[in-house]
Amino acid sequence: MARTLAMFTDTSLCIGCRACEVACKQWNQLEAETPHWTGSYQTSPHFTDKTWRHVKFIEKKDERNEPKWLLMSDVCKHCNQAGCLEACPTGAIYRTPFGTVDISQDICNGCRYCVSACPFGVVAFNHGTGRVNKCTFCVDRTSEGMKTACAKTCPTDSIEFGYRDELAAKAKKRLAELHAKGVKEAILYGEDENGPLGGLNAFFLLLDKPEVYGLPAEPTLPQKPIVKDAGLSAGAAILVGLGAIVAFRERGGGDRGGEE
Amino acid sequence: MVRAPEWGMYIIWYFFLGGIAGGAYFMAAIADNFGGRRDREVAKVGYFIAFPLVMICGVLLILDLGMSSRFLNMVKILKFWNPMSLGAWAVGVFGAFSFACALLSLGVSEERLALRRNVAKVGSWFGFFLAAYTGVLLSNTAQPIWRDARLMGALFLASGASTGLASIALISYFKGANLGESWSKLKKADTFAMVVELALLVALVLMLGPSANPIIKGSFALPFWGGLVVLGLVVPLGLSFVKPGDGKERTAGGTMAIASVLILIGGFLLRYVVIMAGQL
Ligand code: SF4
Ligand code: SF4
Repeated sequence: MARTLAMFTDTSLCIGCRACEVACKQWNQLEAETPHWTGSYQTSPHFTDKTWRHVKFIEKKDERNEPKWLLMSDVCKHCNQAGCLEACPTGAIYRTPFGTVDISQDICNGCRYCVSACPFGVVAFNHGTGRVNKCTFCVDRTSEGMKTACAKTCPTDSIEFGYRDELAAKAKKRLAELHAKGVKEAILYGEDENGPLGGLNAFFLLLDKPEVYGLPAEPTLPQKPIVKDAGLSAGAAILVGLGAIVAFRERGGGDRGGEE
Repeated sequence: MVRAPEWGMYIIWYFFLGGIAGGAYFMAAIADNFGGRRDREVAKVGYFIAFPLVMICGVLLILDLGMSSRFLNMVKILKFWNPMSLGAWAVGVFGAFSFACALLSLGVSEERLALRRNVAKVGSWFGFFLAAYTGVLLSNTAQPIWRDARLMGALFLASGASTGLASIALISYFKGANLGESWSKLKKADTFAMVVELALLVALVLMLGPSANPIIKGSFALPFWGGLVVLGLVVPLGLSFVKPGDGKERTAGGTMAIASVLILIGGFLLRYVVIMAGQL
């Protein structure tokens, strides 16, 4: 396995120009979409099958009751423990040698289980092809040694592309810098490989709580409780089965109900 | 912010019919193996229900994908601990078992019946699986409601058992089958399954706490409370306490047929409400 690649999105540098969204659409040949009124300058509510980078414009009031913007270019997190990948029954979703998560279009059969299993609502069903799409981490660029299109385009270096370990070190340094400058609310999201989902390979520096950005504070792998859920189902099967055995049993069945 | 998988009527019908197929089959297997001579009639009806329903299930799954050849991608690999993958395989394997049992029900020779009982002993495990796994499939997603519903698989299993028995009772009634004391056995097993189902439903809603709101309040409150809880569970449970007079098997069957229709409506509404409210 090659060294893990990552993207670090530092929202404190984002100016909301949406160049990343456009670059993504150009490189991946994704159609433009009709803008939606979201109550803000944000032009669409969420990712779609055609929007893989998505710039959020969050309006807030600061301490002096002045309006302020929180901007964030969101993307698939390429989770180290990825709900979509675990869910996929066909093996269409796979981990690349760079540690990122990709979907093989030939193999996807359109069951949409991955859509339901992403804690961030990233994967989206394409009604045209009957298959699902999401950010590929520009696998066709990165495998040729190029940066992702969004990182290449970003004019403020809010999006950085590189090796995960190097970027994580950089993120920590930037966080310390901001804290020293008094930006106490700055946090890193997904940088910690011991944290939720084993760390995200697209991680972020945020200027408020994750929930404010529409991100779960503690994302968990949806498949974690499977053994428990299966066990409880087996328990119910045994109970209902025993009840039926008592009911149908020839001798001693009597009329004593089925409670076992 | 999570995204709903846009599962609609195909999946709702699949979950519902899969539950019946699994439930009817394993109840048939129990009647076949633990019951008496008369109960073989019950078993036969159960196998005859399971086989066509599981065929329809396969068709529904393929229709949901939109292209039949794509279903093959589902069964080209098997991912263990993956409900979607195991489920696709289970439909196939269970289909084979229910076909075998339906076929063996056509004859009357003792050897055939003995073989049928043995086949059913193995096949019933897949029946249990088919009835329950759809709940586990939902509870292992990131969707609100579903993700916290630890008892969804158990609840679907109990519902599969009661709807399976209800469809056996209903078909037997319309066939005019002479089930004799098997009626009361069917009723007893179904009553017990419904008690378990109701208990699990209460536990599930309590465990969900406020995240159950989209189900128990708002536009799904009527199908949930009125349809599933009252019509689908409480009324049939009440009917099961109606004591028929001696020798009134036919009336007993009639009461049970009415209860069965209600149970089936409840079983459908359970899947409908859970799938629709979970994707709001
Ligand atoms: S963010 Fe969602 S789509 Fe991206 S890797 Fe994680 S689970 Fe998969
Ligand atoms: S929709 Fe495609 S990628 Fe998603 S889980 Fe199903 S087969 Fe896998």
